[in-house]
Formats: sequence, C-alpha cells, structure tokens
Amino acid sequence: MSFFANLFGKKEGSASVARDRLKLVLAHERASNALPYMDDMKAEILEVIKKYTKVKDIHISSQTNQNIDVLEMEIILK
Amino acid sequence: MGIVITVTSGKGGVGKSTTLANLAVGLANEGKRVVAVDFDIGLRNLDMLLGLENRIVYNVIDVMEGKCNLTQALINDKHSKNLFFLPASQNNDKNILDKAKVKELLDTLKKEFDIILLDSPAGIEGGFEHAIAYADRALIISTPDVSSVRDADRVIGIIDAKSEKAQRGEEVEKHVIINRLKPELVERGDMLNTEDVLNILALPLIGVVPDCDKVISSTNMGEPIIRDEKAQSGEAYRRIARRILGEEVEYLDLSVKKGFFKRMFS
Repeated sequence: MSFFANLFGKKEGSASVARDRLKLVLAHERASNALPYMDDMKAEILEVIKKYTKVKDIHISSQTNQNIDVLEMEIILK
Repeated sequence: MGIVITVTSGKGGVGKSTTLANLAVGLANEGKRVVAVDFDIGLRNLDMLLGLENRIVYNVIDVMEGKCNLTQALINDKHSKNLFFLPASQNNDKNILDKAKVKELLDTLKKEFDIILLDSPAGIEGGFEHAIAYADRALIISTPDVSSVRDADRVIGIIDAKSEKAQRGEEVEKHVIINRLKPELVERGDMLNTEDVLNILALPLIGVVPDCDKVISSTNMGEPIIRDEKAQSGEAYRRIARRILGEEVEYLDLSVKKGFFKRMFS
C-alpha cells in the first residue's frame, strides 16, 4: 500500500470481498427458491404416485438450458 | 381507508422494532393517524421501545379472540395523540395467529387509521407469513453485512410469493432501509456501501440510518430517537417518514468529514 493510496483512501477493503461472496451465494439461492409452489406441488404429486406404486421419495429440480426452463422429476421407488 | 405497511427483515436483531417505533412516531408527527401493531407473538418488545410497557392491559390476541374490543386494547402514545399501539401477547406462541382473524383485525384497523405498521417477527415461519399476507407495502430493514443482506433477499422473495396482493397479480410496494451504516468503515472499504446493498437486493431505497450511540440510550429510556432534534439517526428517521408519505426528501450526507491533517496522520 503506497503512501498516496493511503492518503486518498483508495484502499480495497473487505467490503469488495463481501460483495462478491454475497452475489455468488444469492445467485445460487435465488435459483433454488424461485419456485415457491414447489413444496405443495411435490406433496400432491407424491399422493398421486402413491396410489399406483410404492414410492420412497421424489426429487424435483429446475434447470435452465439456454432459453428453456426444465423441471426434472426423479421418482425413487421402494 | 388505511394502508398496511409491514416492517420486516429476515434476520433478527437488525433494528426492525426500533425502526418501526421511530417511523410510527414520525408518521404520527406528520399528521397521520397511525397504529403500530406488534406481531411478534410471544416475544413482545415494541412496547418498551415506545415506552408504553406499563400501560398494557389487553393484547392483539385478546382482540382477535374476542376477549376484549379493539378500543380496550389500543394504547394511546404519551406524546403523539394520533399514535396508537397494539401490543403482542406474551404467553402464546406464533401458531395461534389465524389468517381469517388477522384479515378481520386489519380490515377493522384500516377503517380507523391511515397507516397500520406491522412489526413482523424475524424468520420466515408462521408469524412472519401472517405479517406479510395482507401488506400493501413492505419496508425491508438490512444492516450492511453479509448475513443480513442475504436474509433480506430471501424475505423479499417470500413477500412476492406469499402476500395476498402478489397472489392477486398486484405487487407489494417494497423499499429498503439500510440500518446502522458506519460511514468511516464504508469510506475505508470495510463495509458494504448503500449502492452495494441496493445492487444486490434490486429494490429502491427509502432511507439510510447511520449507526448512532444515542439510539441505545433512547431505547433504554423508551423514547424513540426521532424525538431527539439533534441526533443524526433521528433526522434520518424523520426523512424516511416523509418519504413514506410520498415526499421527495434529500438524503443525509453521511460522508466522513476529515481534515487534511487528520488524513495525513491517521
């Protein structure tokens, strides 16, 4: 850190690190929280599947491939 | 017909109730009929911030359950005659709130008051959902630190998903208040600045409140800092109150004033 940089307060502090970390974590979280109806939908689908077969759990994940949003569902049988 | 403004944050301890108490006084001083409702069921504390803890007889749950009528539960502020307060209950848990009853209460309050300020509990569970369900506007409080901003972002998403207004296809008007900003740290690059926070949250700003020791003593006394003519944070709250009412008000100058010599030798 040069004397002049110090003099004029041009120092890179921890705030820029905070900014980058936040942007990264929020980009990830926003993608996974973007579908607020997910829990309800999952529960309903689970009920329907249970009528026909034995199911342990289902996973639904969302993905964006270029311009297409995809919901992927994985049904895990007992 | 009054409007419901919910004050919320996601993370606890960022100054939600303090902000609400101050804005309640500020809006009342601007001539509005205001009611501050503590929705943090089981963890009452807005009463102490307003200095009204000794006057509580009934609470918001009593009103909703019909144990008393609204006028019996409302407490008039000591100084502002158009400010009223509705306390939270102490001995119930948050799950006692019932959506239909919340709506009924708010509809009644809307007829009596211009502005209904709801103090939402921290977190994203039941109590919080009730506090945002019928909000017309929301004020999201965040301090400039990573955990608070992150939780604020989460809460904004939930407001968009779960409020009645959003479900009707309308939008809840949302603004950010940045609380406890330390200008020296921002200047040094060691604290997120206002721009950083707004960029990340992608919401309009309605106020920045500088960190201020006087807030602590005002809390101790049960006298909202907004009544202190000299405190910078009090001035910040007064300006936010006017902005809420739609006035364009200049922002406080929070830059650090350093003399040349101080800069040389610091």
